[in-house]
Amino acid sequence: MQSDNGSQLMAVQDNSTGTKVKNGILGCVINVVLWLFSAMCIFPLVWMLYSSLKNKREFNASIITLPSKPTLDNYFKIFANKDANLIGAMGNSVRTTLLSVLLIVLFAFIVGYILARVNFRLNRPLYVMFLMGMLIPIHSLLVPIYIIFNRTDMANQWYTLLFPYVAFNLPVSLFLVEGYVKGIPLELEEAASIDGSAFSRTMFSIILPICKPILTTVAIINVFSCWNEFSFALVLISNNKAIATVPLALKNFTGQFTSDYPKMMAAMLITMAPVVILYFIFSKQIIKGMVAGAVKG
Amino acid sequence: MLNTIRPKGRVIFAYLCIPVALFVFTVFVPLIAALYYGFTDWKGGPVKNFNGIQNYVQLFHDDVFWHSFGNNLYLVVACIIGQIGIAFIIVMLINSKLVKLKGIHRTFGFFPSTISALCIGFVWKMIYDQRTGLINWYLTEVLHKYKNMKSAPIWLGGEAAPIMLVLSIPLIWQYIGYYMVIILSAVASIDTSVLESAEIDGATGFQRAIYIIFPLIKNTLLVCITLCIAGNMKAFDSIYAMTEGGPGTSSMVMALYGYNQSFKSSNLGYGSTISVGIFVLSLAVIGGSQFILNYYMTDSYDREEKKRKKIRDKEARIAMKKRMKGGA
Repeated sequence: MQSDNGSQLMAVQDNSTGTKVKNGILGCVINVVLWLFSAMCIFPLVWMLYSSLKNKREFNASIITLPSKPTLDNYFKIFANKDANLIGAMGNSVRTTLLSVLLIVLFAFIVGYILARVNFRLNRPLYVMFLMGMLIPIHSLLVPIYIIFNRTDMANQWYTLLFPYVAFNLPVSLFLVEGYVKGIPLELEEAASIDGSAFSRTMFSIILPICKPILTTVAIINVFSCWNEFSFALVLISNNKAIATVPLALKNFTGQFTSDYPKMMAAMLITMAPVVILYFIFSKQIIKGMVAGAVKG
Repeated sequence: MLNTIRPKGRVIFAYLCIPVALFVFTVFVPLIAALYYGFTDWKGGPVKNFNGIQNYVQLFHDDVFWHSFGNNLYLVVACIIGQIGIAFIIVMLINSKLVKLKGIHRTFGFFPSTISALCIGFVWKMIYDQRTGLINWYLTEVLHKYKNMKSAPIWLGGEAAPIMLVLSIPLIWQYIGYYMVIILSAVASIDTSVLESAEIDGATGFQRAIYIIFPLIKNTLLVCITLCIAGNMKAFDSIYAMTEGGPGTSSMVMALYGYNQSFKSSNLGYGSTISVGIFVLSLAVIGGSQFILNYYMTDSYDREEKKRKKIRDKEARIAMKKRMKGGA
């Protein structure tokens, strides 16, 4: 303890060679540990990337080596495979994700703004209702939601998944917006009102542009959660292969090719590609947005 | 009159009706339906009889269900220790002045949490594979612990190691970076002068982490634990991908059990009962843990501070209401 204190003090006061060496070793160890951690996180992706360029026999012979003669065969076969229809699923996922995110952002903005600013009788009850919605363990809804959607003939339609995706992500999103709107000075709206701007106009042409940062955050969080969602897709639309989303198609695909790992890897990489590319381009904003969503939500 | 603050009721209704209706239809209607169908023996066909609390009695004596609940709790504990613990250590390391390229560690570390849990499950299924998996490859070819891959352990078979431990590693791995980033942002918001003065006073890095940083980011850690609990009570995707609850029902979790009962055995009535069970148990675990954590982690000063804040908030609200009335 005593000597530790001494060395720390020295580190502050002067740069003797002993401290330098000690710091150097310590720095090395810390950096190595961190690089190991980073490598562990990214390694599966790299492994899949180069393994997907092998054929099955080469992969089984040696799972870790780089491909001797890289081939895009697996990818061509997947694109040609009409049964798995991975490309169709990509289209479905893009449509579902875009529409869900659009609706979430729109609804979150409208409801969040009204709950933050408008003083009406149902304000508190609605607030509590959405808060409860956030607390409800959504996986307990897996079975009953299937029952309800089947009863109303709304299961297995192209729009089916919009309902759970929008509803489950709405509470967090709207509370993010609500918190943000509360930080905007009220004088802005008062001034707008005095200048003769109606409620809707104030909301959409004054508040909406101010809320752009938080709405971007909301959009980012929800793109990932909608694209990756599996369990509700499995329950609600698995009877209609034509509208399967990516995770569902991947599940069907892996059922067919359990032992052909390179092909499975290629399939997974194709389905992951959009989010991976998005992530590595906008990683800073995405990390910031997702953390804000998690902590405030 | 300020239209801004008090639009007509009609306008508000027009804006709110669609989102609220959609929300109620998708969240609350199924909940009520689960309560209703939970009292029936419905199997999806035209026959549907009420059988009172029979389903609930069955649920109460259903070993598989309670085993699944236990597995959920196992995951919660493993993930709290693994994810938040490791994340905290890594944050402490990253915050050292000796580390370069922090951004890269953050980007790479966070990456797994952006991939779908289903994909992660499939990837780890390959990593755990007996004949062509990375782990057995490492044990056989690098460490030479086994003669060939054929004699290496079957990880997902439940014999080589406890199956839930094997399954929790991918879950932990996926979200370490996520919690790391949350904790990093909390640490970044600590006033640097506090840390500097500690350093001048001779606190070692370890001491600073435990006695200064840890108490200051307590609330963030609470948030992390809550997220962890909520996330693992709904574990489904990755376990579905890796074992589908097997071998047997040894790695079953609640959501998966409800799914299997409802769709594999088409016991929709009993499946609804399970759903109600999941609902109650998850809420109880989340609520209970919140209560305990809040009690133990807020000391008397914090409690006083909270009370004062409540009063301040109330005053602010009253002031705002007055202002609104004044405006109208």
